[in-house]
Amino acid sequence: MSVRVSRLPLRIPRAYAELEDRSSGGVVLFVGRVRPDRSAGGEVGALFYEAHVPVAERALRALEREARRRFGARRIVLWHRTGNLAVGVPSVIVGAAAPHREEAFAAARWMITELKRSVPIWKTDRKRSSVRRGRTASN
Amino acid sequence: MTPPVRVLLFATAREAVGRAELLREVPAGGVSVAAFLSELLREFPQLAPATRGSRFVVNGEYVRGRSGRLVPGDEFAIHPPFSGG
Repeated sequence: MSVRVSRLPLRIPRAYAELEDRSSGGVVLFVGRVRPDRSAGGEVGALFYEAHVPVAERALRALEREARRRFGARRIVLWHRTGNLAVGVPSVIVGAAAPHREEAFAAARWMITELKRSVPIWKTDRKRSSVRRGRTASN
Repeated sequence: MTPPVRVLLFATAREAVGRAELLREVPAGGVSVAAFLSELLREFPQLAPATRGSRFVVNGEYVRGRSGRLVPGDEFAIHPPFSGG
């Protein structure tokens, strides 16, 4: 499945397999992980991710279509995990397979940027009980 | 009996209310999103900061500002600024 928002663990080999395409010479796989940011409340040990799942998956499908159109990506993976995720655990996988590396890099970079901007997913540091805004806990 | 409106709260909105979901009755003829939201803010004044800068969603579709209507059985969601990734 190219688009997914769920509590299921993100498996990197499965994402790579999803990107299999004989005509693609370049495959870019970006993995965003929970980062151990220091804050006033101490070091972050875990973040809580939540999503409005049907709306988020529809927004991801729109990103997939647009990445195919703009960059000629042949295969795409846009997977986001929800729930309590410990530091170091993958929270998002964005992958693109395209005929050449430039398009694959451009598609992956564009998709992760747009995902953060336009997909209804939120992360909360429950220890501090505050929702992060405009910051990235991953990447 | 008419089905209630299902209210979905995320992130700062969920934290303000202390719940991710609420059920609220609306008249059979429906109610404007603006009026529904005002009623919600009367019940949960602490929700006000979270609604500033939020977008509102009726049955999975974003409404412009606080426009639109809710009828029994609808789903209404409050989307604070996103922070995924």
